[in-house]
Amino acid sequence: MVGMAVSGTPEKILSARELGLVACTRCAKPWPLGTPTCGRCGHRLTSRDRMSLQRVWALWLVGLMCYIPANIYPMLKTRTLFQVDESTIIGGAVELAQYGNWGIAFIILFASVAIPLGKFLAVAFLALSVQRGLTTSQRQRHFLYEVVEYIGRWSMIDIFVVAILSSLVQLKTLATINPGTASVFFALSVIFTMLAAQAFDSRMIWDAQAKDEGSNHND
Amino acid sequence: MTETPPDVPISPARKMFLSGASFIWLIPILALIVALFVAYRSYSERGPVIIVEFENGSGIAAGETELRFRDVTVGVVEKVGFTSGLDKVTAHIRVEKDVAPYIDSGAVFWVVQPEVTAQGITGLSTVLSGVYIEGSWDRQVGPVAARFQGASTVPLIRPGQGGLEIAFRSTANGDLTDNAPILYKGIEVGRVGYAKIAPRGNFAIVEALIFEEHRGLINDSTRFWDASGFSVNIGPAGAEIDFSSLATLVGGGVTFDTFVSGGAPVSDGTVFEIYPDKETARNSVFNASEVDPLKMSVVFDDNISGLIVGAPVELSGLEIGEVDTLSGLVDRERFGDSRVRLNAILSIQPAHLGLRGEVTAQTALAFLKERVSDGLRARLASASLLTGGLKVEMVIVDDAEEAALEETENGLVVMPTTESDVSDAAATVEGVFTRINSLPIEELLSSAISFLNSAEAFVSDEDLRETPQDVRTLLGELTGLVSSEDVKNVPVALNATLSKIEQLVAQLEQERIVERLGNALEGASEAAESVSSSVAGVPELVEQIQAVAAKAKSLEVEELVVALTELTESADAVIGTEDAVALPGSLKRALDEVNYTLEELREGGAVENVNSALASARNAADNIALTAKDLPQVVNRLTALFAQAGRTIEGYDKGEQLSRGAERTLREIQKAAEALASLARTIERNPNSLLLGR
Repeated sequence: MVGMAVSGTPEKILSARELGLVACTRCAKPWPLGTPTCGRCGHRLTSRDRMSLQRVWALWLVGLMCYIPANIYPMLKTRTLFQVDESTIIGGAVELAQYGNWGIAFIILFASVAIPLGKFLAVAFLALSVQRGLTTSQRQRHFLYEVVEYIGRWSMIDIFVVAILSSLVQLKTLATINPGTASVFFALSVIFTMLAAQAFDSRMIWDAQAKDEGSNHND
Repeated sequence: MTETPPDVPISPARKMFLSGASFIWLIPILALIVALFVAYRSYSERGPVIIVEFENGSGIAAGETELRFRDVTVGVVEKVGFTSGLDKVTAHIRVEKDVAPYIDSGAVFWVVQPEVTAQGITGLSTVLSGVYIEGSWDRQVGPVAARFQGASTVPLIRPGQGGLEIAFRSTANGDLTDNAPILYKGIEVGRVGYAKIAPRGNFAIVEALIFEEHRGLINDSTRFWDASGFSVNIGPAGAEIDFSSLATLVGGGVTFDTFVSGGAPVSDGTVFEIYPDKETARNSVFNASEVDPLKMSVVFDDNISGLIVGAPVELSGLEIGEVDTLSGLVDRERFGDSRVRLNAILSIQPAHLGLRGEVTAQTALAFLKERVSDGLRARLASASLLTGGLKVEMVIVDDAEEAALEETENGLVVMPTTESDVSDAAATVEGVFTRINSLPIEELLSSAISFLNSAEAFVSDEDLRETPQDVRTLLGELTGLVSSEDVKNVPVALNATLSKIEQLVAQLEQERIVERLGNALEGASEAAESVSSSVAGVPELVEQIQAVAAKAKSLEVEELVVALTELTESADAVIGTEDAVALPGSLKRALDEVNYTLEELREGGAVENVNSALASARNAADNIALTAKDLPQVVNRLTALFAQAGRTIEGYDKGEQLSRGAERTLREIQKAAEALASLARTIERNPNSLLLGR
């Protein structure tokens, strides 16, 4: 009750499901419930994807698994004339910070550590909130979901940097940069977190309230 | 199902949990399986950690320094630490699993660092890349060890490297540098390792490696010698500098040759001797193989300088060893005084003793023990008179005191000694020089100079120069005299007569018979006067005879001679006349009488004879007067006689003058010659006088 007041949704939300409709998630055309596929774009129509949470958790788990080696193994193998330098993500950022490049260090830490970790937390929070039938702050959660989905692709910037450096700096014995093991895991981690975020059916955020209201209504 | 929306989330959810789970959860399960598999694999493939201890951690860095085998990375240093007590640096090396089993207890590790030696520059790559640890082990899988001792330098012989591992026994001063090359005909066929001192400290042992492909070059007849440094030979072909290579010049080296064929192949661990040069090495082939030398101590009472390390030790003139070390020895307890004695350690080569059977130091010792009981003693002897060097000689002393080889506490046997046989060469030489020095050379020279000056003055003397001329003239005159007809014709009788006349004259002078003679002659002249009456021209002769008589009075022989000559000339003139021819023969008889008288006068009883002669002469004169016919003949003969006498006298006179001058000259020459002859004789008799000044 309090949450509802906080969320600021005085009006009753009428879902398509309650109207006996199901909207196509690709072209947004509503169809009557029971229609298997969208007659316009051919997308499969599901009113509520109950397997979504399982997919989220599975992919989230894989993403997290990949994130561990991504931080343990070196991201870049820099071989110069005199030495071979292998640095992990955090190690590289710390090294940059030691050299005084605070800005770049912050960017790396933000893009490669803070954002992926935030995504894991956010996706886990969303999934848990849906499972627990949390009815509060649905707008914020939805906004969080949008942010996670939007920002997830930017995590690949690390991989791009590694890919560009590796392809550019190939000066044979003088200096070469090769992607480290971590880059693959990092890319996988990003991919799986993005997939996890996409697997999340954001409509379920609102279902809890409807169910709550519905049950109230039924009661 | 669709009719009742509230049922939708509940009942199908259970069904779909099972069906959906099998689908989507495959991904994380798969990922997990992959991760686990990878984890297991990486764990199972991870090799063990070995710990290598180094003296210092020169350049070893955790996570960076690699362990290489045959220049391939087989491990990485994971951790660098210390042993307990901070004695050594430990490097924890994670080695690859497939290599790890080979790293057994025989493995060696060393740090490769840049190194510049005479043989070249090694490890240059480590200048840029940093050091790495090189490991070497054999091809056999052995029991795994966890802890190794790292070498500070590159080991010569790496396990499993192959090649013939031999050792060199280096003699004194064999300056073998570590890692020096072993050359054969200028090609490096091996390496010399690090020299170690043999346990007993009497020689250096150097391990060496002959590379596998050159193994066949070595057999038990092979002799090695030191090729380090260079040799300079100056011979008829000019100067020659010889050194094997620049590397051996700087760092030393060993080369070898097999001088005789038919050597048996050698196995690992064979010990070879290193000879100082090729000649020694060649000679050694024909000598008995040398064994461990026998060390003996000899304490000489008299500490004479001149014995040096390396001086020969001789037994009956045969070199059996050399002096190994020399030191002073003061042992009051042993000798009873605190004099410094000369303690020489001899190194006896048993092979040189020519013993039968197995030749070892023990058999040599036994042999010497026996000999010592026979009276064998060591003594110092002169090795070289020039340098004053000494050697140790072992001689049999007949009346030696009882002695035996005694062993000291440090394991050395002490050889008894006898009196040294050192000729004091230095003193002798010094004496010779002193004597030479004391020779009066300067006096001798000044004498010689003054002698020569005198000789020169004598030779250049005017008289002497004229001497030959005089002599020549003299000889010419003599020749003329001798070869003259007159001289040849002078009868011996005349000479006798003349001498008689001389004697007579002398006697006349003494006995004052001249006056009587004068009277006689007066008588004669009276007779002549009487003759002159009968013979024309005779009076002149008589006058002349008178003049002769007068001259005889004055006893001037020369004048007498002249007068006689004149007389005879006159007589000749008279004789030349026809009248003279008719002189009576009685005159001749008278003259014969005179002649006879003169002979008697000579023989003695002169006075009486003279008297009688004069009487006879008077008689003769009387007779002459009677027999004038014979006179011319007599006169002729007288003339000839006197002419001859005069000429003879004249000749003698001249000759005497000449001969006197010649005689004087000859005497001088003779004197000079005698002086030279005596000098020569003196030198001949005593040649030392020149040296000794006496």
